[in-house]
Amino acid sequence: MKKAITMEVNGASCEVEVEPWRTLLDVVREELDLTGAKLGCDIQVCGACTLLVDGKPVSACSVLAVDADGRKVTTVEGLAEGDRLHPLQESFMKFGALQCGYCTSGFLLTAKAMLDENPHPDDEQIKSYMGGSFCRCGCYQEIMQAIRNVARG
Amino acid sequence: MKHFEYLEPGTVAEACDLLKQYGGNARVFAGGSSLTILLKQGFLQPDALINIKKIDELRRIEEAGDDLVIGALVTHHDIETSALLAQRLPVLCELEHDVANIRVRNMATVGGNIASGEPLTDLPCVFITLDATVRIANTSGGRTLPLEEVFVDYYETQLQEDEVLTHVVIPPLPAHSAIDYVRFSSSSVVDKPCIGVAVRMSVEPDGGACREVRIGLGCVAPTPMRARNAEAALEGQALNDENLQKAARAAAEECDPMDDLRGSERYKREMVAALVRRLAGKVHARARDNG
Repeated sequence: MKKAITMEVNGASCEVEVEPWRTLLDVVREELDLTGAKLGCDIQVCGACTLLVDGKPVSACSVLAVDADGRKVTTVEGLAEGDRLHPLQESFMKFGALQCGYCTSGFLLTAKAMLDENPHPDDEQIKSYMGGSFCRCGCYQEIMQAIRNVARG
Repeated sequence: MKHFEYLEPGTVAEACDLLKQYGGNARVFAGGSSLTILLKQGFLQPDALINIKKIDELRRIEEAGDDLVIGALVTHHDIETSALLAQRLPVLCELEHDVANIRVRNMATVGGNIASGEPLTDLPCVFITLDATVRIANTSGGRTLPLEEVFVDYYETQLQEDEVLTHVVIPPLPAHSAIDYVRFSSSSVVDKPCIGVAVRMSVEPDGGACREVRIGLGCVAPTPMRARNAEAALEGQALNDENLQKAARAAAEECDPMDDLRGSERYKREMVAALVRRLAGKVHARARDNG
């Protein structure tokens, strides 16, 4: 019943055996101990479970792990290079763009994907791209400042 | 989630054979965006998922003669960023900016959007006004259907148990014509649409009469629909306030919306009238300028 899949997770090849009904979020958290991404709404609305698959943000709560076979998966744990945080992580800290932190992993990864696609978005483009990510603490102003800071950097 | 087999055919024909073997107890897995939610919530409990994602020929947007052919695995984000569509049918790229969120747009496919029979959606409404057809593969070869005929009821389509929707085919727009779409949300912009209205028409260079009028309505009936009475109110007529008003009222009457959290039936009928009136005027002006 289990299927062997190979993913490149944060740059390292990784083979796991999974049942086809397990979600990518579940496998990344429970099998690989990468717990940055969180389960939120479970219906692809909130963005807390966002992971990048082949560089594109998806809701990992609704991706089957078998569907990630052969693909590159990036989690928030893969953003830093050694001890050096990603500029977005530095900027989120500088502007206090979080309170409880539950949504932060999803915001960081979504913002990274946006900047990879369009390094200098204007405010409207940032709002449009990030619009599907929810922060229930309401840190949107600070999140905008933090992303803008990197986009204008 | 109920346990299921996960099968990965390499060709469309293999996919149809597998579907037939499971006799209606298997589901086609394309983007998986809405399917995984229905599986998690237990609304669907198939014995097998037939993953068609490895069939690369379904992933393309291309021209075939004068037609545009969109493969079933093309995602919403592919449409949003397609250079070919930006040139041939920018209305499709523009509407995609507002579909769900970037994660869903990266995952959800054109084929799944249609085959799921989801009524609260955008693309089918526009495809219908473009006279699109769909290619369907099955174990005896395949068939082609006008897209409008694919939809039967809420979440119900004409697709049979051994069938895979493979392509959407869009014929070229006639000369002197224009098309536009309005996606109206009554709550958050990332919510599903409350109402979708698409209008396409040609304008006679002499006299300005409306020709080949298509008015598509989304989210206000069990399926996306053409407002044929509204179309008839404009067909062959010059555009004036009276005709626009007639078409708007006809559309409001012939749709079949339901009360829900996005609005009451009465509210939605009034909004359909307002949107049809505005959009038909706008599209007429644009078609005239395209002359």
